[in-house]
Amino acid sequence: MTYSLKSSALVCMTVLLSSTALSAETFRWASTTDPQTMDPHAVNSAPVLSFMNNIYEGLVRRGKDMSIEPSLATSWEPLEGENGWRFTLREGVTFQDGSAFTSEDVMFSYQRASNEAADVRSWFAPVADVRVVDDFTIDFVTTAPNPLFPDSIANFMILDKDWAEGNDAALPARDAENFATMNVNGTGPFTLSSRDPGVRTVLTPHEGWWGEAEHNVTEAVFTPIGNSATGLAALLSGEIDFIQPIPLQDVAQVEERDGFKVLEGEETRVIMFGFGHEHETLLYSDDVTDANPFTDPNVRLAAAHALDIDSINRVLFRGKIQPASQLVPAGISGYSDANSDRPEYNPDRARELLAEAGYPDGFSFGLKCTNDRYINDEALCRAAASMFAAVGLNAELSTGPVRDYWPQLREDDFDMYLLGWSPGTFDMEHPIRFLMHSQDDEKKLGSWNFGNYSNARVDELLPMIQQEIDPAARQALIDEVVAITQEEVAYIPLYTQPLIWAAKDNVDLTQRADNFFLLRWVTVN
Amino acid sequence: MVYFIIKRLIQSVFVMLAVAFLAFSLFRFVGDPITQMTGVETSVADQERLREELGLNDPFITQFVRFTGDMLQGDFGFSYRTRQPVAEMIADRIPATLELGIVALLISLVVGIPAGVYTALRPRGVVSQTILMTTLIGISVPTFVIGIMLIFLFGVQLGWLPTFGRGGTVQIGGWESSFFTVDGWRALILPAITLGVYQLTLTMRLVRAEMMEVMRSDYIRFATARGVPMRRLYLKHALANTMVPVITIIGLQFGGVIAFSIVTESVFQWPGMGLLFLESIRFVDIPVMGVYLVVIAFFFVLVNLIVDMLYVAIDPRLRVKDAA
Repeated sequence: MTYSLKSSALVCMTVLLSSTALSAETFRWASTTDPQTMDPHAVNSAPVLSFMNNIYEGLVRRGKDMSIEPSLATSWEPLEGENGWRFTLREGVTFQDGSAFTSEDVMFSYQRASNEAADVRSWFAPVADVRVVDDFTIDFVTTAPNPLFPDSIANFMILDKDWAEGNDAALPARDAENFATMNVNGTGPFTLSSRDPGVRTVLTPHEGWWGEAEHNVTEAVFTPIGNSATGLAALLSGEIDFIQPIPLQDVAQVEERDGFKVLEGEETRVIMFGFGHEHETLLYSDDVTDANPFTDPNVRLAAAHALDIDSINRVLFRGKIQPASQLVPAGISGYSDANSDRPEYNPDRARELLAEAGYPDGFSFGLKCTNDRYINDEALCRAAASMFAAVGLNAELSTGPVRDYWPQLREDDFDMYLLGWSPGTFDMEHPIRFLMHSQDDEKKLGSWNFGNYSNARVDELLPMIQQEIDPAARQALIDEVVAITQEEVAYIPLYTQPLIWAAKDNVDLTQRADNFFLLRWVTVN
Repeated sequence: MVYFIIKRLIQSVFVMLAVAFLAFSLFRFVGDPITQMTGVETSVADQERLREELGLNDPFITQFVRFTGDMLQGDFGFSYRTRQPVAEMIADRIPATLELGIVALLISLVVGIPAGVYTALRPRGVVSQTILMTTLIGISVPTFVIGIMLIFLFGVQLGWLPTFGRGGTVQIGGWESSFFTVDGWRALILPAITLGVYQLTLTMRLVRAEMMEVMRSDYIRFATARGVPMRRLYLKHALANTMVPVITIIGLQFGGVIAFSIVTESVFQWPGMGLLFLESIRFVDIPVMGVYLVVIAFFFVLVNLIVDMLYVAIDPRLRVKDAA
């Protein structure tokens, strides 16, 4: 950048008509949200974890296809004689400041990440004890058999003990910021070279990284761009190389231009409708005020039969969604092949079911939706409301921003609601734990089961699923849960949301199903 | 004069308190900061503990008194979202907003005043009519539409100017300025036009109306009869007398430009206070929202004060009154 004094904008215009060519390996990208912090333990949110995975690493990591692979641990096996896992650590790994990585750093990071000040501490709920065996061996002892423990800590990132303690960052910042909020020292492929929160964050390769670099990026510049039209303009004008995500309606615009491409994939997020299973009466009904028809599984099934997913797909999503039968998409571990049918679109059957349930003329109720959380969420709910109305279910729709949506759901202020769920562990156990087990604050179960769907057998099956080592036996247990919840229409799973990114043609990158973007897979040609 | 300024500054403290009070009474309806701060896997108990720690369970009045008490002691608190000190976050963003506002104001004055004078003097000319027609767009089209149109024309189609951000900036003391680099100016042009176009139209129409009014007054006719040169007549006698109302409106509008640069900043991803405020709303970052609104209230008071002082400079009659 040349710094010369120019006072007249007109002079500048003429000078700058020729835009500066970017050097091939500087990679510029944008996303809608800035990571709030550079501390990998402070906030358990996708923008932060995705970004920090470029800088810090865990014991295990996820590959391009989401499979678990070795990272800072080279191997792991179940402990003998007790519940838990032994991790053998990689030797010769150095942090970005040059200090060596050992089991002490893992121990320290565990203590830091499981502290009350850390938002990621829920990952360590099953852990009873952690023991350093030697410099490169560490044991995680769990309270019960936990076959999925290694998978569940793929985003548990390791900090350097001496660096964190030496800079008064032994705990994640709770009130005021600390050193680790703005500075990093990881073992990962990239390190932070400058940070201006909300404006610009620059990463450069970590020369001493243990892995073989697959990328050819020498500098990566991240800019958050909140307004999607501005983000699209920035891509089309060539100022950025890649943006995640772009709105569905902009896909055609990008596709018809030379030099740009749209990357489409399926996110693991399933969009669904939930019910107030526990409510005794409807809150927003004009005609049924003394009962809650949704407590009847047949009424819930009627609602499911009323929805025409194929039309929704064609009209609202340009054919880019996958109809869902259960709370995880096919391909995720624990997906129940035995229960892959979803209630078909059958308005006549829906009317019949309503009549059998004692509501031949239908009834009215309140439907709550977000308008800024999921792709086309408001449009989806409008379409669904008109489909419900066609069978006599008159939904009174109210939509709002997500920032006051969750509190409303927590206060039971709904008859039916919209929810999207992405299984954090990429296993069916995750939605069973959060959405299907009855609410139990003590055991921290069912915390997103707003309608408090409750089935004693499901509650009984969850711990069995969590502890079952044999994959076939485990799948049978999961199949049973999925069968029960489908039978009872605990939720109406609608579809899995598409992932839509856009990039310049000369950029190769990997779109992972968890919507994480990793620089180590980027090549700029 | 000094008494006048001190009186105004004391008044400003009350204005800011009132704004803070209103803001705090509304924050409860913005949403829940805790669900925005924590991940989905965070247990309800952990969320409750955090809510307690941040004092969000306290009654509204307690929260308000704590906020103002801390502010009066110079403690602006920490952002819920980034954990940074709020004073630092806002101070970092002030230069971007002020520079954008000042350039937008300059554009509106440099173009608006001459155009207003011209259209007043030749009300039926083709050029005047064209100017009036085109500036109608400036008033009737929403800011974000103008911004997006400019971006797609000059940024995407022609590729002349950047579509987002501040471009190259230089640190001067604690002030991050766009004024000293070519890149900085390039980045400034489109947002400044977008932000200034409404102001420009307003200025032009105001100058035109005032000018036409003044041109009909007796002293102008006498001056014309006396043979005062036209140029001198227009610029010294007529224009000077139109400036008092124009300055009032422009001055008051400048406060608005700073406050409502939110839309322009969002469209151009301009890293000013407005953009920070928008991000803060999304995350229900109450400390940042509170301080931002108080700072904006202070700007309004300050701008009004400057406007009052400019009157005195422009209108000699006020000076006499002041002396008496």
